[in-house]
Amino acid sequence: MVDQNLILVGYAVPMVFGLVLMTKAGDGLADTLAQQNPRYAHARRRHMLGMNLVAFMGFVVSVHTLWISNKISEGANVCSTATVFSCDDVLGNSQYNVDPFFGISWGLIGMFAFGAILFITNSVGKEPDALWAESYMKYGMYMTGAGMLVIALLVSYEVRMEKICQFCTMAHIANVVCLFGFWKAGKMHEEGNWDDKEQTTAPNQDSEKSSNDAPEKAPKRQPKQSNRKGGKGNDKNDKFW
Amino acid sequence: MMNNTEADVRTDTLIRVMALFFVAIIVLAVTTNPIPSGTGVGERAPPLEGKAYNGSAWTDFNMESYLTANWTAGDANGQWLLVEFMDTDCPFCVRSASEMGQNANYFMKIDKDADGSPAWKGPVVNFVASATQLDIPGHETSRDEIEAFRDKSGEEECASSSCANRDGAAHRFVYIDDIDQDNMKEWKVPGTPAYYLIQPDGIVAWSSAESTEEKVADAIFRLTLED
Repeated sequence: MVDQNLILVGYAVPMVFGLVLMTKAGDGLADTLAQQNPRYAHARRRHMLGMNLVAFMGFVVSVHTLWISNKISEGANVCSTATVFSCDDVLGNSQYNVDPFFGISWGLIGMFAFGAILFITNSVGKEPDALWAESYMKYGMYMTGAGMLVIALLVSYEVRMEKICQFCTMAHIANVVCLFGFWKAGKMHEEGNWDDKEQTTAPNQDSEKSSNDAPEKAPKRQPKQSNRKGGKGNDKNDKFW
Repeated sequence: MMNNTEADVRTDTLIRVMALFFVAIIVLAVTTNPIPSGTGVGERAPPLEGKAYNGSAWTDFNMESYLTANWTAGDANGQWLLVEFMDTDCPFCVRSASEMGQNANYFMKIDKDADGSPAWKGPVVNFVASATQLDIPGHETSRDEIEAFRDKSGEEECASSSCANRDGAAHRFVYIDDIDQDNMKEWKVPGTPAYYLIQPDGIVAWSSAESTEEKVADAIFRLTLED
């Protein structure tokens, strides 16, 4: 079986990259990213790309924790060690690996939570100026904020067991980073940095031309005017994340 | 004709996220076969841990060390486990102590035939008692009382009479200190005495709560010999 810690590093790398895109450090990557796709010259687009990456990785880590829980229930050892880092001991503990009210596995709860976050970040990424976009980001912030209470509960379990589950910790970090992302998006709205200052192109204007226009010179689009009808908006070509 | 294109964006995204979710569920369903944890027959037995008295000292006990994760049905080398939840002040537990001692000596292969071979020819069945203190007036217990119950010694009282005078011989199996009821709550034990027969791979094969008419020894004969 593949070393679980190696898989963990595989999860950490895109998550760190996503976080970098959300911070000032991401500005340094703007040129490099813009060469790949001119749209990533804009801070908001980089921010949403980072959020989508982190939410997606949070979802994948949640699936992995549920997979480990299932494997342990079959009697397998997945990541058991004698050290404090032993996810088998945490995910295999029948008393703590499910929520205390409905008995649902924490991994499955994580899948639902990050699925919802992914829905918000994707929708907003595609329609950033929609009337509902700002509210959705607020809902996301409330949801990840509530997630902090769940994280506190799960960490208290780990303290009680004197064991740390690396995969759970990775999912917790994804939640914290998403909370930061939603908060930062709110700040960008407040400070007027949400608008990507992209020049509105005529329907038959080629995309090459629009991408060569300096964003600073482009006329500022009126915010929140895109509760528009017809077409999917400027980001209709956005990929899944 | 659809006019609300923003709803369209959200619907598209929702469908994609749901597709991703179902792909994940399918991967989990194909690659894993989870067994629920619990004390019902066919479920994986919850952990059983604590300090245990083996006749000379209190040492760490963990049920895991008794299990064989890769055991398959029919493998006679795997050791089964009989867990008894009891209270030293419970009259029913005191009354069944003699029978428990006899069963343990037989199935743990302590009893020998005339030729020196074990009297029991089936797989070893280890016996473990988890001694708790029920929330009933007069059921105050202690480690001294657990020792006295197991060894038939000392001045302690078990169910209003001397522990040293209970029926049967001294027990040869370990007694776990569950005075705080941790194990009992985790196993959701309805009352004492309660018995659970655990397969070598940790799956509950039989419980007295589900088979009230069948005695422990009969269940062991039936289940271990059919394998």
